Amino acid sequence: MSIETPVDQPEPPTNRPDPTHRMKEWFSRDYVRKIIAIFIVLTIIIIPIAWLVIHFLELSGGPASSIMEELETTIFVFTLVSAPLMAITAAVLVYSLFGWGSIKSEEPPMQENPAIRTNAVAVIGWTVATSLLAAFLVIWGMVELATITADSYGSTPASQQPNATKPIDVNVTGQQWVWTFEYPDQERIQSDVLVVPINTPIYFNVTSKDVIHSFWVVEMGVKIDANPGAVTNTGFTANKLGTFNIRCAELCGLHHAYMETNVQVVTQDQFDSWVREQGGKRTV
Amino acid sequence: MSQTAVIHEHKAVPQPKQHGKPGGFLAQANIFTGLIGGVVTAGVTYFIGDKLVPWGTQNADFSQVGLNALVFCTFVAWVIGFMAGIGAFAGPIRWALGHDLTHDDAEYMAGKGQGRMKYWKYTTDHKVVGIQYLVMALVLFGFGGFFAMLIRTELGATWREVFDPNFYNSLIGTHGIVMIIAMIIVVAGPLGNFIMPLMIGARDMAFPRLNALSFWLLFAAVPPLVLNLVLGGMRDGWTAYQPLGTQAPIGMIGYQVCIITFAFSTGIAGVNLITTIVTMRARGMTWARTPIFIIGTLAAAIMGLVWFPMFQYAQLLAASDKVIGTSFYIPQNGGSVWLYENLFWLLGHPEVYVIIVPATAGIMELMVVFLRKPLFSYKMAIVGFAGVVGISAVVWVHHMYMTGFAPQAGYPFMLSTELISIPFGFLVLVMLGTMWRGKAWNRLPMMIVYAVIFDKIIGGITGVYLSDVPVDQYMHGSMFVVAHFHYMLMGAGLFGAMAVIIYWFPKMTGRMFDERIGKIGFWTAFLAFQVTFLSMFVAGLQGMPRRVLQFDNAFEISNWISTIGAYFIGIGMLIFLYALITSWRNGKVAPSNPWGSKTLEWQTQTPVPLENFPVLPVVTSDPYGYGVPDPYLKVEEQLDKDDNETVGAR
Ligand SMILES: [Cu+2]
Repeated sequence: MSIETPVDQPEPPTNRPDPTHRMKEWFSRDYVRKIIAIFIVLTIIIIPIAWLVIHFLELSGGPASSIMEELETTIFVFTLVSAPLMAITAAVLVYSLFGWGSIKSEEPPMQENPAIRTNAVAVIGWTVATSLLAAFLVIWGMVELATITADSYGSTPASQQPNATKPIDVNVTGQQWVWTFEYPDQERIQSDVLVVPINTPIYFNVTSKDVIHSFWVVEMGVKIDANPGAVTNTGFTANKLGTFNIRCAELCGLHHAYMETNVQVVTQDQFDSWVREQGGKRTV
Repeated sequence: MSQTAVIHEHKAVPQPKQHGKPGGFLAQANIFTGLIGGVVTAGVTYFIGDKLVPWGTQNADFSQVGLNALVFCTFVAWVIGFMAGIGAFAGPIRWALGHDLTHDDAEYMAGKGQGRMKYWKYTTDHKVVGIQYLVMALVLFGFGGFFAMLIRTELGATWREVFDPNFYNSLIGTHGIVMIIAMIIVVAGPLGNFIMPLMIGARDMAFPRLNALSFWLLFAAVPPLVLNLVLGGMRDGWTAYQPLGTQAPIGMIGYQVCIITFAFSTGIAGVNLITTIVTMRARGMTWARTPIFIIGTLAAAIMGLVWFPMFQYAQLLAASDKVIGTSFYIPQNGGSVWLYENLFWLLGHPEVYVIIVPATAGIMELMVVFLRKPLFSYKMAIVGFAGVVGISAVVWVHHMYMTGFAPQAGYPFMLSTELISIPFGFLVLVMLGTMWRGKAWNRLPMMIVYAVIFDKIIGGITGVYLSDVPVDQYMHGSMFVVAHFHYMLMGAGLFGAMAVIIYWFPKMTGRMFDERIGKIGFWTAFLAFQVTFLSMFVAGLQGMPRRVLQFDNAFEISNWISTIGAYFIGIGMLIFLYALITSWRNGKVAPSNPWGSKTLEWQTQTPVPLENFPVLPVVTSDPYGYGVPDPYLKVEEQLDKDDNETVGAR
């Protein structure tokens, strides 16, 4: 069998510029360069938003736990990776408004613009870029979720935790419109303020007496709904001394707004004496 | 013009006999007989229930089952009585009696020869229904916006409670659900009804009588909802979580009857839109030649039709807990609060796309016109909408990350939530590609498109945070979420709807929209919107929970800013509304195609005649044949290209 090209077949076009040449030509266009410049400027503007966001998050004194710290890292990383896509969108927007010019007229303009129906490179490039971004966000999110689940002890009861420091169980009960904290291992003392020792894992069994509430320990980055008829779990290890906020994050009726209290992170000694004051004793 | 015409001319076809005047009962019925019918039926029901039936059984838990049942029956009686009074049952009853509608009857019902009165009647013409939906949406935005002003007043007055907590809680819930209903209907209602059949070259919707039914059911659904404010309130957010809803006063029942009725309306409208789009496109309008707005409307109608029943059943079971003492959602008796949350969010999330998708598709339609360019990658837009519809079915749990009902569910639903950003990304590329190298015709609808894309960037980046379970652990239930969804629903959805409405305004009203005043209103609202909600993001980040009426001093400043911003949104919207109303009443008379657009609705005359087109159009290409060949391409490359697929340089 012959693999000779038949003579009457037309020559493949030779005057077609090669891809690198076409790319060079494209990047040499005035509007492409300007859009790239705007894109870079916008990316540089968007990224610091991460710090701004974290600054506002920390205004009330956090982060006070490793969970909150990881959450801030996530916000930072997510801003970083999605900034380019936001910036390219904004760059085209800005250039469309001010670069390609506009037509002011009452009548439909006669002048028409380039009939660009589609473009394989743009479509494929965009799809790949957004898919990679989504994949990154998913993977990061899942790893992060596993980490904070471990940090808050997820669904593993405190008694099975392998940690060196013995965790403290706290039963949290929401009811319209107060939080009650019960320490089952400290002779069931009860308190309407959460007092926890620093650097000790705290494990919460959360439930509600009436409607749905949501137990939100703000500066710890921890939140779980308090449901009637069910017990949900979460936890944290405080790593900063001080007084932080606990709020109800689910509309629970008339005085939802006032359903807030504090968590006091204290030293182990202070915690022990607080327990004694309350009439319980530290059971180690 | 062959067979059909011959059959039409055949004299021997027997016509149904005309009974009395054309229209029959419908000639007498209008909104006033409807209101009378509704009020009388409700009153009689209340009287009979109150005096003759032994009510008053006490529910084991919270509330009076008897009173609840009485109120529920009264509201349902209102809906049925109203629909009977306006003549919704006239058609079925006539068929049951064997009296077919004649051609004259049908024309009467379509509003022939009734002047302005047809807007107050059970009129089947899709153009009338479209206008009715538009006015209804404006009324609902009026209510919702007024409630928003009251809410911001409470939150701005940080030193005192302006309203009592029960009224305030009812206010936030009513604001939420009124706005949600308004947003669901504002594009798919006026434009899906008025413009869509014109755009596909049809004479009417597939089921004209169902069209009237869907609108008047919506109309009947609203009074029970708004009345809740004087019936003790609903005291719950628009989500109406249980068992809080079971505790709530009888106003809650108004909400439930409203949703149950509204879901019927949506389902009927959905069937009608889908059937019309699938079966009634003009000859030659293949799927690939169908305008993208039609595709977007179809996508929204599919999602509404499939998911609204979830919401309806959620409320039906909730009402049953209140009214007949069941305990679907009452844990003490074996119910589950998580059941309600799941049913609710099964619609609750797709509903966001029911709002966003038609507005986005409408924006694409007008970008093409104002940029004088073809839509960039029609196929990508199709895949984008299809992807949104498909994935929308499996993202609802991202509203429930913190409920604790399934801690492991965070993983798969984080995956689906991130995945849905890919088809949305496609839609963004379609818009950017359409803008690429276009000189825009500088008119208000196009300027609003830029504003919408800007809002989508902010809504997008904050959405990226919220889709992540760990971050959501902080953000969930905070003002950050409120700000985010206002960016999506108002910044992208409502502003997009405004662009789309003023684009089609000349065709719908026969008048040009006054852009000079409209512009002032829109930009005031837009800038004030940024102030209000950027500031609200800050409050959320600082840890302010949503739906509160008092809060820490730490959030004071950002709330003051938000309140001032909100007042200016109100002022801007009123200016815009003024422009809309004055243009409608005495604006410049519009030519039939003021934008030089290529879609079919602009090819018929304005005002649109009763059956839309003198001769039904035949379609030979897609409507995006704008533009000159790309000057950057060499001549021989141009010749290579397929006519339909003119590939431009990047
Ligand atoms: Cu609460």
